[in-house]
Amino acid sequence: MERRKFLTVGSTALAISLVPLSLSAVNFRESSPQTWEARHSVDAIKELYGSSDGIAGVIKLKAPKLAEDGASIPLNIKSKMDLESISVFQDANPRSAVAVFSIPKNGCVNFDLRIKMKTTSNITAMGKGRDGKLYKTVQKVNVSIGGCGAS
Amino acid sequence: MKIKAKLKGQTIKVKALFNSAMVGKEEAIKKKTVPSFITHIIAKVNGETVYEVSTGPFISKNPLFKFQFVGAAKGDSLEIITTDNNGKQEQGTTKIK
Repeated sequence: MERRKFLTVGSTALAISLVPLSLSAVNFRESSPQTWEARHSVDAIKELYGSSDGIAGVIKLKAPKLAEDGASIPLNIKSKMDLESISVFQDANPRSAVAVFSIPKNGCVNFDLRIKMKTTSNITAMGKGRDGKLYKTVQKVNVSIGGCGAS
Repeated sequence: MKIKAKLKGQTIKVKALFNSAMVGKEEAIKKKTVPSFITHIIAKVNGETVYEVSTGPFISKNPLFKFQFVGAAKGDSLEIITTDNNGKQEQGTTKIK
């Protein structure tokens, strides 16, 4: 009886210790494949987070107002909040989702990346905090020459 | 894959350049090639994940990513693994300077 008790306690302790590991690494392509097929950013955000509304002003999205070359638009995403994940969407390309960052505990929210856009459209940065709240920032980028090998 | 990692104060600043055409479905038909893009990038220090991103084909060709993290020392090795849409993995390591 004592041994059985010990085993159950041991196995639950092991399960608890394993949970943070699996939470800290999320492959969003496997966990929410529907997001990557959505045409519009609103649908893609709803697939990923359940709602497309968010609190403004928490995530800072730095993007050029006028991009001369749509093949390479530099973006910078910054936030001081303790966020769980941040994702980037646009409405210019055949599918909306660009990238989803999953942020580990000791990571800083300060990412640089370059994206492609065919035409002028809005870029949406959506984030989810560890408190469960959603944050949203939208910025319009004008593209004079389209990327994606098409114009 | 080219990676640079530098320690400044408490934070480690990383720049990573990957080799990928980043060609999606529609672009592949236009260019008469097969789709080829990175879908997942993960960076680890001492077995702990410090950066992770799932990507689509609308990232620029030969993508450059910059990121920061805390909690590592000079001389630790940073390991980055990328996976593309065909499941092919590439690995690169560098020492934090």
